[in-house]
Amino acid sequence: MTQAWLLGQRALREGWRTPEALLPTLFIPLFFLVVNVGQAGKIFPAASTSFLHGQGYGAFQLPVSLLLAASFGTAALFLVEDIEGGYFDKLRAAPISRTAIVMGRLIAELARGLLIAAAVAVLGMAFGISIASGPLGFLLLVGLTALWSVVFVGFMQLIALKTRSAAATNSGGLVFFPLLFLTPNFVPRDLLTRPMEIAATLNPVTYVMEALRSVILRDLVWSEILPGFAVVAVLGALMLALNVRMIRHYD
Amino acid sequence: MDDTSGATPAVRAEALVKHYGSGTGAIEAVRGVDLTVEAGEVFGFLGPNGAGKSTMVRMLTTLLSITSGTATVAGADVAHEPDAVRHRIGVALQEAGLDPRQTGRELLVLQSRLFGLSAHEASARTEDLLALVELEDAADRRIKSYSGGMKRRLDLASALVHEPQVLFLDEPTTGLDPASRLTVWDEVRRINERGTTVFLTTQYLEEADQLCDRLAIIDDGVIVREGTPAQLKAELRERQGLASDPTLDEVFLDATGRTRERVAGDVREVVA
Repeated sequence: MTQAWLLGQRALREGWRTPEALLPTLFIPLFFLVVNVGQAGKIFPAASTSFLHGQGYGAFQLPVSLLLAASFGTAALFLVEDIEGGYFDKLRAAPISRTAIVMGRLIAELARGLLIAAAVAVLGMAFGISIASGPLGFLLLVGLTALWSVVFVGFMQLIALKTRSAAATNSGGLVFFPLLFLTPNFVPRDLLTRPMEIAATLNPVTYVMEALRSVILRDLVWSEILPGFAVVAVLGALMLALNVRMIRHYD
Repeated sequence: MDDTSGATPAVRAEALVKHYGSGTGAIEAVRGVDLTVEAGEVFGFLGPNGAGKSTMVRMLTTLLSITSGTATVAGADVAHEPDAVRHRIGVALQEAGLDPRQTGRELLVLQSRLFGLSAHEASARTEDLLALVELEDAADRRIKSYSGGMKRRLDLASALVHEPQVLFLDEPTTGLDPASRLTVWDEVRRINERGTTVFLTTQYLEEADQLCDRLAIIDDGVIVREGTPAQLKAELRERQGLASDPTLDEVFLDATGRTRERVAGDVREVVA
């Protein structure tokens, strides 16, 4: 764990010293929030739309922006830089646990995810969105978003390790967009057409989005929150295992 | 496990083979190399581009899997005890493996901590190494602002944090200006005088002549010459009946089947 923490600190320094990589992860999700609310806000007035639970449409859209903010995978691009610059080989040639090499980056991503999620949520609150489940709900919101960012960066790192190319890793990240839109991102799942409802039910991102939405719009409804955490736990463990396996077999 | 004392060679490779890919498209980068490097030597590994030098280094440093054959480094089996090997070697590859966003000091402290030194020990070791490679003044600057020579020296220092038994240097002076090259040579000599075996690949024959106790020339994945520089020169002189010792360049060209041909005023290298 010490090695993972040491490498995590180094990855945090790397992120801190590259603020230009952080700014788009704040700007683009907020841009989508404004655009989506601007386009569909009048269709779903707070007073007559039951699924908004008395809040504006921005509250319903906030989870989309949070997931977008958590799905940039910047750490995977830093990993490609390490591979191209030879530092990754330096680490591999040292007696460092392969798990620690992966965990170091994931620890840093978790910290970055917490920061970004808190910033997006606070900005949302500044524009009138409230977290109905209170302070604990806020922590769950930020925590779940940050954990999703770890899952996503784990996926991006797999592409980075396989292709060793920044261009391919960047393109691989675009796979998230279909997953984000095959969710109940504009209306709840029961209002989707049947084919979309099936697609959304099969899509794990749906459960993360619904958990985030639940803590924003309602009091703590654990039956809606826990599936989101279960998804990130299962996918997180899978990504960690696959990353470690790939580094062990990296040639 | 730690049987590195006495007569144990620093590096031993037997019938070492590396294929990239499989089937009819497979590339045979290393084709059955036998090699022994004694402890305390500066061993030079020479060869033209693509001859298999870097592939050999990457196999011996656990970075690349071995297709067949065996290799031990500092007494540990590369394929079966990779972690033991990693504890005993230092590695500075062709591409200086540095993180440009860290300072030189941060990089050395991190590398020391990763090798198990305490925070206090890592700090002291870092100061020693910065002094060794004469980078004290630049220690708190980001590495991206370093010159090529400074990066090489820092890379060298980072390979020494744990006082390795065997130091692998893959073309450590490629791309450096003559002054920086001489500085790296001095570092290599100093490191070797402290008891570290040095396994060095290079394309610069003068470098091999200056630094190496013994050397091997690899071409097309097989060793074609091995011995001390003096032995290799004497062998060619006798075989070709030359009046004086040839240069190491001539030994190299003879060993790799290449000759130099003067065409329209230019010297070009052709395969014989």
